[in-house]
Amino acid sequence: MIFIAITIGCILGALVGINIPTISYTYSSYLAIAIIAALDSVFGGISGTLKGEFDFKVFISGFFCNSILSILLTYLGNKLNVDIYLAAIVVFVGRMFLNLTIIRKYYIEKWSKKWEERKIKK
Amino acid sequence: MKKGKNVMVVTISIVCFLLMMIVFMQFKVAKQTQETDIDTMQETELRQQLANWKTKYEETKEKTQEISNTLETYKKETSSDAKTKETLETELKTLEQALGKTDVEGEGLIISLREKKESELEENEYTTQIYANDLINIVNTLKDAGAEAISINDERIISTTDIVMVGDVDEEFNTLTIKINSKFIRTNEYEIKAIGNSSYLENSVFGKGGYITQIDGIVATAKKSNKVRINKYNGEIETKYIEEVN
Repeated sequence: MIFIAITIGCILGALVGINIPTISYTYSSYLAIAIIAALDSVFGGISGTLKGEFDFKVFISGFFCNSILSILLTYLGNKLNVDIYLAAIVVFVGRMFLNLTIIRKYYIEKWSKKWEERKIKK
Repeated sequence: MKKGKNVMVVTISIVCFLLMMIVFMQFKVAKQTQETDIDTMQETELRQQLANWKTKYEETKEKTQEISNTLETYKKETSSDAKTKETLETELKTLEQALGKTDVEGEGLIISLREKKESELEENEYTTQIYANDLINIVNTLKDAGAEAISINDERIISTTDIVMVGDVDEEFNTLTIKINSKFIRTNEYEIKAIGNSSYLENSVFGKGGYITQIDGIVATAKKSNKVRINKYNGEIETKYIEEVN
């Protein structure tokens, strides 16, 4: 059920994104930082689910708040002529890597356990 | 529980939808920006780019102007250089020749003048000396006959040459002193060289009514030659008072 929802959402989003009129180049940097923030939230959500700490409210609020906050920060940086979005990217990408590590470790442990069980069975 | 799950599914699908939408929008924008589509740019960007192009254009224009200018001067130089050099050189040559600043050679006449000795005197003749006036007359006649270069005892006759009698007879050598080109010449024998049409020159001086026929007591001989060499004027040509008027 949930996978179907994810797939449908992704396909619909891709279709709309392709067909929507393009935005100005200046705003694309805001969009890019929003994407990074959203991806960070998604990875955080996945790792949270694997750890059993997943909180739906936290996930949703994180997703939107991080995106909007990063966009605002980028805007502020533009006004101040400081590349604040770099800091946001560093933080988000760093967290993404941490979450990826958690996900990786979880699956490695899972698979190695299965493997050992098979060995014992044989 | 079921309601909660439904809400979760819907929200997750909305999140995925939003995420994918902005991701693909961004892909599109990035792709278009690589093609530098002017439509996707903001006004400020366009302005900046326009200003950039303007400055670039101005710079290039200035450069082309500069280069074309130098090219033109080079062209002028190359076209006029050889020509002007040639004309200048020929002009200089003719001027120097006319001024007497160069050794010259050509067809001409050599006139030797000397006083008659007592033994050579005919009846009703008496010894005479060669005066400056004699030389001046001969030189003038030669010039009239188209002489291009004249020298008296290897003193080149130029535009400022003076032929003047100076003082009295030198008692010791029995000679007059004639100043030519500000040099004192004390001799009774003169050799006048002239370059020009040798026949014209000879006829003008020795022909009927020529100056030589009018004077007595002087032995004058003429020798035509195809190669009369006249040395250049050795002094300095200096001007003190004349100024060029444009």
